[in-house]
Amino acid sequence: MLLDEFFDPKILIVSGKGGVGKTTVSAALAIMAAKAGHRVCIAEVDEKGTLPAIFGSEGLGYEPSKMCPGIWGLRIIPEESLAEYLRVQYHMKRISKAFTSTHFVDYITTAAPGLKDILILGKIWYLEQERTTKERFDTIVVDAPAAGHMLTFLSAPSGLSDALRVGPVRRQADWLVQMLRDPKRARVHLVTLPEEMPVSETLETTRALEERLEIAQGPLFANAVYSELFTPQEEKKLKGTIDRAALRTQGEAVGLALDDEDFDALFSYARFLRSRRSIQETHLRNLRAGTGEPVIELPFLFSAGLALPDVENLADVIEEKVEKL
Amino acid sequence: MSVVSDLVDRKEIIVCAGSGGVGKTTAAAAIGMHAATRGKKVAVLTIDPARRLASSLGLKELSNEPHRVSARKFSAAGLEAKGELYAMMLDTKTTFDQVVMKYAPSREQAEKIIGNRFYRNISSTLSGTQEYMAMERLYELHAEGGYDLIVIDTPPTRNALDFLDAPRRLTDFFESRVLRWFLIPYMKAGGGFMRVANVAAGTFLRIVKRIVGAEVLDDTAEFFGSLEGMYDGFKQRAREVAALLHSQVTSFVVITSPAEQSVAEATFFASRLDEAGLPFGALVVNRVHPRFGDRIEARPRQISKLEQGSAEARLLAKLLENEEAFMRVVELEERNLEGLARKIPRHRWVRVPYLEQEAVDFPGLAAIADQLFATTAPAVRR
Ligand SMILES: Nc1ncnc2c1ncn2[C@@H]1O[C@H](COP(=O)(O)OP(=O)(O)O)[C@@H](O)[C@H]1O
Ligand SMILES: Nc1ncnc2c1ncn2[C@@H]1O[C@H](COP(=O)(O)OP(=O)(O)O)[C@@H](O)[C@H]1O
Ligand SMILES: [Mg+2]
Ligand SMILES: [Mg+2]
Repeated sequence: MLLDEFFDPKILIVSGKGGVGKTTVSAALAIMAAKAGHRVCIAEVDEKGTLPAIFGSEGLGYEPSKMCPGIWGLRIIPEESLAEYLRVQYHMKRISKAFTSTHFVDYITTAAPGLKDILILGKIWYLEQERTTKERFDTIVVDAPAAGHMLTFLSAPSGLSDALRVGPVRRQADWLVQMLRDPKRARVHLVTLPEEMPVSETLETTRALEERLEIAQGPLFANAVYSELFTPQEEKKLKGTIDRAALRTQGEAVGLALDDEDFDALFSYARFLRSRRSIQETHLRNLRAGTGEPVIELPFLFSAGLALPDVENLADVIEEKVEKL
Repeated sequence: MSVVSDLVDRKEIIVCAGSGGVGKTTAAAAIGMHAATRGKKVAVLTIDPARRLASSLGLKELSNEPHRVSARKFSAAGLEAKGELYAMMLDTKTTFDQVVMKYAPSREQAEKIIGNRFYRNISSTLSGTQEYMAMERLYELHAEGGYDLIVIDTPPTRNALDFLDAPRRLTDFFESRVLRWFLIPYMKAGGGFMRVANVAAGTFLRIVKRIVGAEVLDDTAEFFGSLEGMYDGFKQRAREVAALLHSQVTSFVVITSPAEQSVAEATFFASRLDEAGLPFGALVVNRVHPRFGDRIEARPRQISKLEQGSAEARLLAKLLENEEAFMRVVELEERNLEGLARKIPRHRWVRVPYLEQEAVDFPGLAAIADQLFATTAPAVRR
């Protein structure tokens, strides 16, 4: 797949269960798009707000701010979306404090479930339409919320559109449905870990996106996958008894003296990797079997607390794998 | 004896808390399982078990009713259930309905509330509800269940602290000044917002109505209306639940991963427990990458030479590379944990290694329990 094709829709929504790597993958996609010359904006909706840490920038506000060359970021907060909505829709100049109080926002989103998500998606729509903002972007990466089930976020507009027969909110929900259902405008990438719960939720989501919500999807990302380090022959060797003396000789040949404790450790780490890898493979198989979309595996990076170079590394991996699709 | 075994012996309630994905549900199940092998009658209230964990506990669906885990599961894993293990999966909606039944002045009013659409949205949408109901269920189990020990898992909030604030968030919401400011005049005017005397509230109402629709507004007015007179009951109960959590019979076990961010959250959470006067019992550092030996100092030049050599040499190169990668994580985690030790003394924690197998069945839980209750901490080679 050509990169141009990959970045054809302006909006890339990165969704998944909490902690699977949505923010990391969002950042990697943004880096990839920026490298291709796009002006990119990452919209962080997740409560945690770990995005600025990756780029070493200040906390994000409700309006896009530049994080590094070609990449802007913003944080979408429902309270502010509601205020913005009222300003734009009702031409209210001064928004009464009552409207932006947490209790009121809680109230209104409980009264009309999905409204919170619509307010958030509404901000994405404003960005896409280049309204209410000075900046224009070629690509908008949405780091979608983790709270609750990931489906609630994407099904909010059609849910509300079905629930309301008339009125301004119904009309706006329809615009969002159109935005989400147009593969030239928006696409979803699901991120998962090769573990039981994330995979089963991802499969439920991918099916619902396809069958019920009719929202286009791109490749899924299976994140933090241990590498397939050993060849099948090597695997076989590691399962049997290994000739330590032969390995020791090889080590000595390059000036490396290894004692028995060293070998115990080397084999233990290898066993650990192989064992975790085989568990992951089971879940990856289930993932592949349950979706028609390609699955892109992203390596487990051993430098926990990922910094920018690590994320750039992941961006390169994604780029390479996308080109091969 | 590990801190956790001490808690199992002395406490009646153990709350497993921590941020998402750290192993709360797994730890709760392992603690419950272990307590049963020690002869306790124990109930585990889980919130979101993985499907395979649920099925190893014999749970098929949400159910507030404790279900006895058969002794055969124990013996199949080479364990003996000297006591009894009960498991259940929190049903938020049913629990809430029961609360309403209990505090409504009449059955009729209770049914009116339960049938109300706004009320139904609360149990599925309003954040804090699940936490509140978990506490409610805990209180009931403790009061009526006849268990020696109740182990409670906590909802998958992104942030561990949400859990502490949840019950108050919900009662505050019910009594919110803002909502009363526009809903009460609306109700008094019999739903006719045009007749609302307060001009500001009237304007406000008109906009709310345009956003959510008149029907929804009527639903909410009805809901808040029927709630009148029940607040005292709610608050009284919330006080009782809080008193139970603050008492000597309860202990909080905070679960964390050794990742920097998670450790920072756990420390903050423990200090918040202290501030709130809640009994912090132990810290479980879960999924710690195991250390199998001292770092092997192989130079990149030596490795690249091996990579160009024979099959044997290439295998050695890979083994060394793999060791180097794991050592990077191990050392990083150890640094994070040293920082943690400066905040929470080591005798208050237990380390549970990242297991080679999955912790979703009885043998897996037993492996976790072995670490949680180990009499001596696993040796750490320096
Ligand atoms: N490929 C990876 N290898 C190792 N660690 C990773 C990887 N991807 C993400 N992480 C780490 O996992 C944690 C969660 O990632 P994050 O992107 O914040 O997830 P989410 O946004 O879905 O909650 C972070 O500490 C991050 O550094
Ligand atoms: N010590 C451990 N070693 C290996 N896997 C573990 C360990 N602890 C938990 N897990 C696994 O990690 C995942 C998340 O655990 P879970 O208990 O569901 O977390 P939480 O309830 O905090 O979200 C599960 O797949 C579980 O089996
Ligand atoms: Mg995130
Ligand atoms: Mg859980």
